[in-house]
Amino acid sequence: MPGDIDPVTLSVVQGALQATQRAMTTTMEKTGRSSVYAIARDYSNALFDWDARMIIQGEDIPTHLGSMVLATKAVARFFAGEINPGDIYLHNDPTYDGSHLPDMCMYKPLFFEDELVFWVVSKGHMVDVGGPVPGSYNPDAKEIFAEGLRIPPIRLVDRGEMRHDVLNMILTNFRSRKYQSGDMNAQLGAITLGEQRLTALLERYGKAVIKGCVEQLLDAAETHMRARIRTLPDGVYHSRVVAEDTGHGRGHQTLEAEISVVEDELKITLASPPQLDFFTNSYRSNTLSGVYAGLLMWAQVQPPFNEGLYRPVDVDFGPKGTILNAEEPAPHVNCTGGPQETICDLIRTGLNGIDPTHAVAGWNHTWAFNIAGVRPDNGEPYLDLLISSLIGGAGAVNNVADGWHAIGAQAGLGGAQIGDTELVELLAPIIVTRLELSTDSGMPGQWRGGCGLITEIEPIDHEMTVIAWGEGAHQPPPSTGDTRYHPELSGPKVARGWHLRGAEILHEVDHNQVLTIKPGERYRSQTSGGGGAGNPFARPPEAVRDDVLNRKVSLKGAELEYGVKLYPETLEIDAAGSAALRKEKGR
Amino acid sequence: MNYRIGVDAGGTFTDFVALAEDHSLLVFKTPSDRDDPVSVLLDGLAGLARKAGLDFSDFINRCTVLVHGSTVALNTLIQRNGARTGLLVTAGHEDSLELRLGHKEDGHRWDFRYPPAEMIVPAQRRLGVRERIIAGGKVYVPLDEEQLDEQVEKLAAMEVEAVAISCLWSVANDTHERRILEKVRQRLPDCFVTAAVDILPRVGEYTRTSTTAANAYVGPVLDRYLASMENALAEQGFTGGLYIMQSNGGVAAPEVVRQRPVAVLNSGPAGGPVAALWYGRQLGCENVISIDMGGTSFDVSLVRNGLPDIVDQADIARIRIGLPMVNVTSIGAGGGSIARLNERRILEVGPESAEANPGPACYMRGGTQPTVTDALVTAGYFPDTGLLGGRMKIDRSLAEQVIRDKIAAPAGIDLHRAAHGIIEVAAKNMVDGIRIASIERGYDPRDYLLVAGGGAGPAFAAMLARELGIEKVLIPSTAGALCAMGEATANLRYDAIRACPTRLSELSVDVANSLFDVMEEEGRAALGVSADDRVRVERTAEMKYVDQIHYCDVQAPGGVMDASRLTQLRENFHRRHEELYTYSEPDNEPEIVSIRASVVIDTLVSNPTGDKKAITGKTIGAQSMREVIMPDTRELRATPVYNGRDMEAATTITGPAIIEEETTTIFIPTGDVIQYNPKGFYLLEVNTN
Repeated sequence: MPGDIDPVTLSVVQGALQATQRAMTTTMEKTGRSSVYAIARDYSNALFDWDARMIIQGEDIPTHLGSMVLATKAVARFFAGEINPGDIYLHNDPTYDGSHLPDMCMYKPLFFEDELVFWVVSKGHMVDVGGPVPGSYNPDAKEIFAEGLRIPPIRLVDRGEMRHDVLNMILTNFRSRKYQSGDMNAQLGAITLGEQRLTALLERYGKAVIKGCVEQLLDAAETHMRARIRTLPDGVYHSRVVAEDTGHGRGHQTLEAEISVVEDELKITLASPPQLDFFTNSYRSNTLSGVYAGLLMWAQVQPPFNEGLYRPVDVDFGPKGTILNAEEPAPHVNCTGGPQETICDLIRTGLNGIDPTHAVAGWNHTWAFNIAGVRPDNGEPYLDLLISSLIGGAGAVNNVADGWHAIGAQAGLGGAQIGDTELVELLAPIIVTRLELSTDSGMPGQWRGGCGLITEIEPIDHEMTVIAWGEGAHQPPPSTGDTRYHPELSGPKVARGWHLRGAEILHEVDHNQVLTIKPGERYRSQTSGGGGAGNPFARPPEAVRDDVLNRKVSLKGAELEYGVKLYPETLEIDAAGSAALRKEKGR
Repeated sequence: MNYRIGVDAGGTFTDFVALAEDHSLLVFKTPSDRDDPVSVLLDGLAGLARKAGLDFSDFINRCTVLVHGSTVALNTLIQRNGARTGLLVTAGHEDSLELRLGHKEDGHRWDFRYPPAEMIVPAQRRLGVRERIIAGGKVYVPLDEEQLDEQVEKLAAMEVEAVAISCLWSVANDTHERRILEKVRQRLPDCFVTAAVDILPRVGEYTRTSTTAANAYVGPVLDRYLASMENALAEQGFTGGLYIMQSNGGVAAPEVVRQRPVAVLNSGPAGGPVAALWYGRQLGCENVISIDMGGTSFDVSLVRNGLPDIVDQADIARIRIGLPMVNVTSIGAGGGSIARLNERRILEVGPESAEANPGPACYMRGGTQPTVTDALVTAGYFPDTGLLGGRMKIDRSLAEQVIRDKIAAPAGIDLHRAAHGIIEVAAKNMVDGIRIASIERGYDPRDYLLVAGGGAGPAFAAMLARELGIEKVLIPSTAGALCAMGEATANLRYDAIRACPTRLSELSVDVANSLFDVMEEEGRAALGVSADDRVRVERTAEMKYVDQIHYCDVQAPGGVMDASRLTQLRENFHRRHEELYTYSEPDNEPEIVSIRASVVIDTLVSNPTGDKKAITGKTIGAQSMREVIMPDTRELRATPVYNGRDMEAATTITGPAIIEEETTTIFIPTGDVIQYNPKGFYLLEVNTN
């Protein structure tokens, strides 16, 4: 059969797979309970074939790219020989190639004519999976055992029967179980929908045609990626990034990659220091997500993605027990944010360095906060992730475009949504006092990075716990080429938090930390902007002026970072002054 | 004989229909002109007069109603050439409009070249006002009048033509917003000024602010256009009722539209389902799916139990608009949609379009990309003698050449397989669009009559119906002007909305009744009818489970709310959730977010008169034979081609066959049967096995 299928049939079948995946995702978004599901859209749906090969992943959250590829195989292996129609498996543990504990993943084997043909897979971030800290981001965890409930592959639904006792055991371990219960219903709804649509597809075209198409779609994607790789000159290239110290006190850690290009294949060898007793380690499936995200940002191929794209790419994670190939008992929950983004940077900058023509600069890294407390009006506990707090600037695209404002972090690539302030104020007893783009936060460049965001909140009549997590407080994301920010303007360029009382700063937060905010006090958080591309002195002065008029760049920023002088009264361009400045500081 | 006129301005053509009292129809199409739409309007009316055999002034005198679907507001938004607009918002939240909820539209996650949306109100004209209301309506920061005055002075200095006002929680307490409105009107009496609470009183400031800003942005432009149109029509002696089509599928008088210009943005495609329902009712059918295939897009809408499927918000020209509007699923599968082999050698069709210029290769205007129209010509569906009754010349050899060069040769398949492949892939995209509009909204398309419009829609209709299991397809003889027909047959309609955030178990029937009464009054006032006039009220509740974030629209019972109607509403919600998402949670508590009331006045009172000719069932002869690729065998087959002018009542034709009408081409697959109905349409019975 393979080989007989023409581009038309292939298009029709791929379209049906794509529509199925998209419909699953819509169900997750519209029915989800937690803001992590329904607004941040921190979930992914994918379809796998009979050999647990990923055959379609849409444009859900990039931080799940690689982990689903490995995890479905791990689960299929675990249940080999006892996989029955009507089963649904559940799992979150990274030692079975889960991404991190909060990501609960469901797997449904789909049988057709007594044969296992597909796996319908749905993964989503639960707002809490237990452990000592609300939201399960515990900066004090020295081991994975202190981070939340570990679930190896288990049978959640046995031949069509939900195992209510097992489900209850799981939910009993979670704070705010009503959210997780609703979110798991959303996930089950997505899986049911995927199963219905795929069964209809199999009935319409027959198993043989569908299986033939799957083989050919995988092969076509492989050929596509091979063609992209072939544009790079053969050679061995090196890339290195710094994983910042976000609270463990052991200093910045250097991550390295050796990328060897041989004709149309890539061999990526990672090297990292020994794993830490801090929750920024990355087990291999999360590391693979970072590698694939970097690869795809470089390749700029469009979804739908399938596993064929990855066939020409061989990844060596480095020795077990290192940061990028962590093993039990390494704590890890923070890994899908900053660490995944840092790994993505490592690979992307390595590949961009070989050919920077249309290189995408870095986006802001995840720096965010959760809030928790007890509602003063009804005494009920609340727990929420302030999604706006992780939204930052996108990277510029070299020779193409400025970065978007406020659509990061890099782990999400624009998929998360903030939620209306009015909605946020209904979900938690707080007032959002400021939510605005942060002037001068975008990294300068001929193509400017996008601006980050400032979120400032105040608890209403109660003490509120703030759990600040993530990274990016010490240095902005890497940018392409020679763009560097001016030291005087470093303030807006880094992610940071502040505990405030009126105009007074009680405490500045630059690492993972838990704080208490009293009534009348505020917490302000800012994300960094995106990386720029090209020489900022080559940016047209009119574009710089436009940024000043629209609060993206300050007058001082225009001068220091872009060499453009404006008359402060009229905000017209001082052409002579600008030319002199650019000449004097010119590069 | 008097006429109702429907005018639908599209990107390429403006369509005119005149619906006579006896339900006979005149149709005229003329090229659109964005720069001078009023002249196009007058040209079209003159064209209709000629077709009616009347002189212009006589014809105008017989036009009792003229409904205009205008793209002026939409084009203003697309081209970003609206009024210089200022926006006053709660201080600290000036960027809400630009943040766009902090995300990039779906479909572009990995497209790093996709540009940000251009702002209709740039940051420099978005000014914060020191004030703050919080949830529940309490004043947290009182309105700082002095600072407000300063901000208004800044807007005056920037010479704004329009001002939008949107404060946080104005839905809970509108005193600040109203005070700001008053002050702006005082200081800027010539400005178009609009407050969010009057446009969209629903919780969620982004959508409310965006909708209000768009209202201000298009307001002055639409106002000028309506004035010039009213003057031009008055000069010609038009004394009938002038109405404007709205995105909700109903019409409103110009004075209503002037206050809510944002309500007409997506009015163009909204005519499709209205016309489809009008035709469906000729067969006693209240459940229809309309498809309309134009040059760049393929639009799908659904009507259930006589009510169009409505969505509460959509992005139009990348601006979030939160008013109820007809749910139009638009797929990039029009006649001009371009086919290509992608990097993985998979055939793709659309969404890129050759548009009107250069258009398909066969149009002889220099098009170099193969389009769906080129495929239809190559595969024999379209005549090579020309379209629009021969007014539009085409060259078949150009179509064949471009498909051979761009698709067939690189894919290693023959020309006919390539041409038909383009048709199959376009059809796949269309089926996907119909599924989104039906299955993904919880409706089974097999329960619906498919009504096919557009120049090429009826060429695809049978294929789509078969794939979806739809047994009956209705094709208007004037399918090429479906939306204009919708405008000629639309009702008056006004939508009111009120925030009503409460658990269903805690909803007081008194509160519900008074809110519904207030909304009905608002609607009656807007439509200019007294309390005695008969109106129809459609009620909707926006509902979710407690702790869910997104809501869905649920039909609410009419009449005075009481315990049993609340129970009915509860059951409606559980059922709707299951229809949409495969499951419901009967043990969990539903919650209302907002409620809406749509006040409707049925304007078409007369029933169809039916055919006056005797039913003959007469067999007619084909005018010619043409080689057409059959969708089932993918082989060429000599196919009889009939002329629509030859049809008589109950004429029945068995496929394979093609029927050519002035504005459309119908394809009937092998074995399917089509029958002409003198009320002005065909009914095609599709073998779905």
